[in-house]
Amino acid sequence: MGELDGRVACVTGGTRGIGRAIAEAFLEEGAQVVINGRSPEKGEQALSEVGAGENLHFISGDVTDQAVCESLVDQTVEHFGKIDIMVNNAGGGGDAAPLVDMSDEIWNFVLNWNLNHPMWCMRRALKYMIPQEWGRIINISSMYGKTVIPTNSHYVTTKHGLNGLTKVVAHEVGAMGITVNALCPGGILTDVMNSDGRVAAEALGMEFQEFLDMMAAPSAIKRLNEVEDVSLVAVLLASDAGAGISGSLINVDGGQVPY
Amino acid sequence: MGKLEGKVAVITASTRSIGRAIAEIYLSEGAKVVVSGRSAEKGEQALSEMNAGENAHFIACDAVNQSEVESLIDETVKHFGKLDIVVLNAGGIMGAAPVAEMTDEVWNHALDINLNHTFWGMRKALGHMIPQESGRIIAMSSMEGKLAKATLSNYTSNKHAINGLVKVAAHEVGTLGITVNAILPGLVLTDMFYESMPATAETMGVTLEEAADMFTQPAAIKRPNTVEEVAAVALMLARDEARNITGCLFPVDGGTMPY
Repeated sequence: MGELDGRVACVTGGTRGIGRAIAEAFLEEGAQVVINGRSPEKGEQALSEVGAGENLHFISGDVTDQAVCESLVDQTVEHFGKIDIMVNNAGGGGDAAPLVDMSDEIWNFVLNWNLNHPMWCMRRALKYMIPQEWGRIINISSMYGKTVIPTNSHYVTTKHGLNGLTKVVAHEVGAMGITVNALCPGGILTDVMNSDGRVAAEALGMEFQEFLDMMAAPSAIKRLNEVEDVSLVAVLLASDAGAGISGSLINVDGGQVPY
Repeated sequence: MGKLEGKVAVITASTRSIGRAIAEIYLSEGAKVVVSGRSAEKGEQALSEMNAGENAHFIACDAVNQSEVESLIDETVKHFGKLDIVVLNAGGIMGAAPVAEMTDEVWNHALDINLNHTFWGMRKALGHMIPQESGRIIAMSSMEGKLAKATLSNYTSNKHAINGLVKVAAHEVGTLGITVNAILPGLVLTDMFYESMPATAETMGVTLEEAADMFTQPAAIKRPNTVEEVAAVALMLARDEARNITGCLFPVDGGTMPY
C-alpha cells in the first residue's frame, strides 16, 4: 500500500535531478506520473532507466513557453484521466551577472522559467483540482527564495516571487481540499547546478568547487543537500497526511536559512 | 519493514493527543517507544489502548521538573539499550494575562514546561547521541513561535525561544549525524485545548468558539489541524532518510504563518 495509491502527478523538469527523484519517489508510493522535459531523448532515457512501465509517461516541452505548460497539464489529464499533484520543479539561472549588466534576454528567460511556468501550470491544474476538491501543488523554490546570492538577481527575485505566489494561492484554495506549498532546497549538485552554477561561480570570480563550498558552509550539515532530501518532503506534502500543511515555504537546506 | 525499524524513541507528554499520535505512528513503523506523562494512571491506560506489548513502555515524568526530564532520557536508554529519537512535546498555554499582570509563578512555570524542558531533554539526549553519531531531536513548537496574540506572552515567548534553541543546536551537531528540528502546528483540538482554552478565552474576552476561530480563520485551510497531520511530519523527520533536514521550523498550520 503506497501513500499515493491512485494519484496522478505531473512533474516539470522531471527527467533528471530533483524532478526525477520526486517522480521516482511518487512511483514508489503508488502514483502514476507524467514527467516533462525539453529533450525527448532524455525523456526516453529516463523512462527506460526508471522502468516503471505504464505508470510513468513522458511529455516533452519547454516550460518557458506558456502554451507548453497549459498543454502539459491537459495532456496529463488526457493520458491518466485526472491530475492530483502538480510539481513545478523546472527552473534555473544562467548568464549570472551584476544587475547593471543583466541582459533583458536572460532576465525574461529566467522569469518565465522560475515564476511564470509555475503560475501557468498551477492556474491550469487548478481548473481540474477545484472541481474534484482535492489537489496538491508543490513548487520547487530554493533557499534563494529567502536569502541572497550576488550576480543572481534573476534567480533570487523569481524564487522570492514564487514563494509569494505560493502563499497567495494557498489562501485562495485552502478550503477546497487543495494545498499549495514551496520547498526551499539548499545547494544540490544537479545537472542544472553543474551548468548554471559554473556560470555563477565564474561571475563571482571563483572556482566551481569554491562556489559549492560557499553554498554548503553556512549550513549546519556542512555539505550540499541531495535530491532525495527534497523528494522525501514532497511525498509527505502530496500524501493525504499532508492535508494540513499549506502555504508553507519549507526549508530543505541542512539548516542554512534560519527563518 | 517499518520506516523506524530498530529505533528507540522517547516522547514527552505522550499519553494523549499529539504526543500519543506520534507514539502510535512510531510504533506502527517498528520503533520501540517510551511514553511519558505526569499520571501513571493515564500511562497505563495509554499502554493498554495502544496494545503494543513490550515495544511500548511508560515512564512517569513531570516536564516542569529538571531531574525527572533528565531521568526520563537516561531511563529510556536503560530500558531499551539506546536512544535514537527524542520528541520534546510537553508544553502548553497557561495563565493567559496581559504582560502587565503576568505573575512570576505563571511565567516561570510556563518557562519550565515549554522551554526549559526542551533544553533539559535535548542536552541530556545529546549526551547519548553524540557518541553514537546519530540521533533525531524534534521539539514541539507552535505557530505562536512565529506569531503573537495578546495575553499569551509566556507561551509565545517560550515557543519563539524553542525555535532559536533548535537552530543553534542544529548547527552544533550538524556534522555528527544528528538533526534537530521543530514542528510548528496550528490549532489542534487536543485535550489541552479543552482544558486550558476556556480560561484563556475568558481572559481574551471571547467565547471558546471565537477563540478557536481566532486561530483557524487566518489559516488557508480554515480549520484546525489534526494530531495525525503533526505525527506524519514527526515520522518523516525521525527517518534515516531525513539526515539532511535540520534546523528547520516545519509548519503544520494550514497556511497561517506567512514566513
